[in-house]
Amino acid sequence: MAVTEPGKPPHEGEEEFPFHSGEIRPSSSPDAIEFVDVHKSFGRNHVLRGLNMALPEDQISMILGPSGTGKSVCIKHIVGLLYPDEGDVIVHGHSIPSLRDADLFDLRKKFGVLFQDGALFGSMNLYDNVAFPLRQHTEKGEEEIAEIVNLRLSEVGLSAANEKMPNELSGGMRKRAGFARALVLEPDIVLFDEPDSGLDPVRTALLCELIKEVHAENGGCYVVITHDIMSARRVAEHISVLWKGRIVESGPAEELFASENPFVRQFLSGESAGPLGME
Amino acid sequence: MVRSVAERAYLPTRNLLEEIGDMMILTGRTISSALRPPYPYGGEFVSQFLFALRLCWFPLLISTVCICYAAPGLQAANFLTIFGALDRLGGFFVLGAVREIGPSVTAIVVAGVAGTAITADLGARKVREELDALQVLGVDPVKNLVVPRFLALMVVTGLFDIYALLFGIFGGIIAELVNSQPLGPFWNTLFANASTTDLWGSVLKTTIYGAIIAIVCCYKGMSASGGAEGVGRAVNEAVVLAFTAIFSFDYVFTQTLLATHPQILVIK
Ligand SMILES: Nc1ncnc2c1ncn2[C@@H]1O[C@H](COP(=O)(O)OP(=O)(O)OP(=O)(O)O)[C@@H](O)[C@H]1O
Ligand SMILES: [Mg+2]
Repeated sequence: MAVTEPGKPPHEGEEEFPFHSGEIRPSSSPDAIEFVDVHKSFGRNHVLRGLNMALPEDQISMILGPSGTGKSVCIKHIVGLLYPDEGDVIVHGHSIPSLRDADLFDLRKKFGVLFQDGALFGSMNLYDNVAFPLRQHTEKGEEEIAEIVNLRLSEVGLSAANEKMPNELSGGMRKRAGFARALVLEPDIVLFDEPDSGLDPVRTALLCELIKEVHAENGGCYVVITHDIMSARRVAEHISVLWKGRIVESGPAEELFASENPFVRQFLSGESAGPLGME
Repeated sequence: MVRSVAERAYLPTRNLLEEIGDMMILTGRTISSALRPPYPYGGEFVSQFLFALRLCWFPLLISTVCICYAAPGLQAANFLTIFGALDRLGGFFVLGAVREIGPSVTAIVVAGVAGTAITADLGARKVREELDALQVLGVDPVKNLVVPRFLALMVVTGLFDIYALLFGIFGGIIAELVNSQPLGPFWNTLFANASTTDLWGSVLKTTIYGAIIAIVCCYKGMSASGGAEGVGRAVNEAVVLAFTAIFSFDYVFTQTLLATHPQILVIK
């Protein structure tokens, strides 16, 4: 098995990473998004420490990892909101950090992003929030826009809240609205930062179904960050486990659920005993 | 010990210099994206302009009348009375109110009222990741948010300066009346000393104040981090930095204006 024995770290002088085999198990699809040896620090806080990660085309990938390891930071690198200090982020063959602003704006039309807190525009009601990308990027008339927006809102169960302003909504409702907004353009690359946090178990299950349905319909590279192992079991086709700014292991979901790596096993079964503690 | 003191001084200094550099870059980007088409910021410009107008007009009215009545009005009148030269108060108003107090009070009110509102608004949007979401949706926050605020504050501050001058002089009139003086000499010395240079100098200065306030407040808002507390911190820092920048600029501007227009140094 690819697990490195403790005491014999995979990289020189890096005793901090005894469980990081960094193994990337081959996946059946080509890579849509690649992180190549990415380092990122915020002041003294070294968040990404040599991250190598590949997310396959046409699959639903999940990024799992303890809180604060840099999962949200990863998403911001993919869309070019943050730039790596070292290394490269490649999306569909384009190196994001070296794109010119105009090209980056163009490339961003491919993305649908749900931020961790929903990131709805506080000055617009729900309907306008979801309609915003359509108005911004398409020439569609208001009728056509209304059709799409109402469909997306009803999918996430928010048809009745059309006129509400974001600050009148619950956290879970904002999440679902952000989810609807991320999907209106039927993007090629969809990034969801914890779509299921703040939702009740039933809604989480329904949301997972919805992700699968939409993906089956549109295809593309879906990247979902989650803390919910149940969700991961339900929808993940590919899993990357991130810890301390590096990949512990990544690969097709079934293989990861059967992994022998103690950290991956602890994390995917949610046990308290194992390499991961509170520190 | 020495080393730790040096370190403690070094880091904040470096951060401050970095921030100033970033603000210069933001200024450059703001100006260039204001000029380059497309121009999607018209609506936002109007709404920001009206917003600043609505927030500032009343505080500014009270502030200018009161401070001009109190500072150059009562205090200077008191002083001039010693020489029996109270008729000179009008001339003093040109120096005090038109050149300095009017612009400064305008800047203080605009920064404190409209500037903080801008920082709080942009800061809240930043910490809720709205700005990130905008960028991902292909909307350039500089062009769509900073440029309209920049232009609106420049125009508003320039216009408010004239408004502040009028009400400032009104404060002077009250001071004259309180000292039971005829107003004739006040107007005489006022217009003898006032020149068009004074007027355009004052308006130009405040217009640049407006630009400084807008850049500092937008920058601080857009770089806020750390939740609601971070927004509060950003607002606080924005005010401190804006005042410091405004008054430093005032010194440079006044020195330059006096050097290039020596005739306004002559008191008539
Ligand atoms: N803009 C920023 N400035 C400074 N530090 C940041 C910034 N963004 C993230 N960090 C830091 O990077 C680290 C990783 O943050 P990130 O949000 O990616 O965690 P996460 O893996 O998404 O955690 P969670 O599961 O709790 O959302 C944290 O320590 C955080 O403090
Ligand atoms: Mg996160």
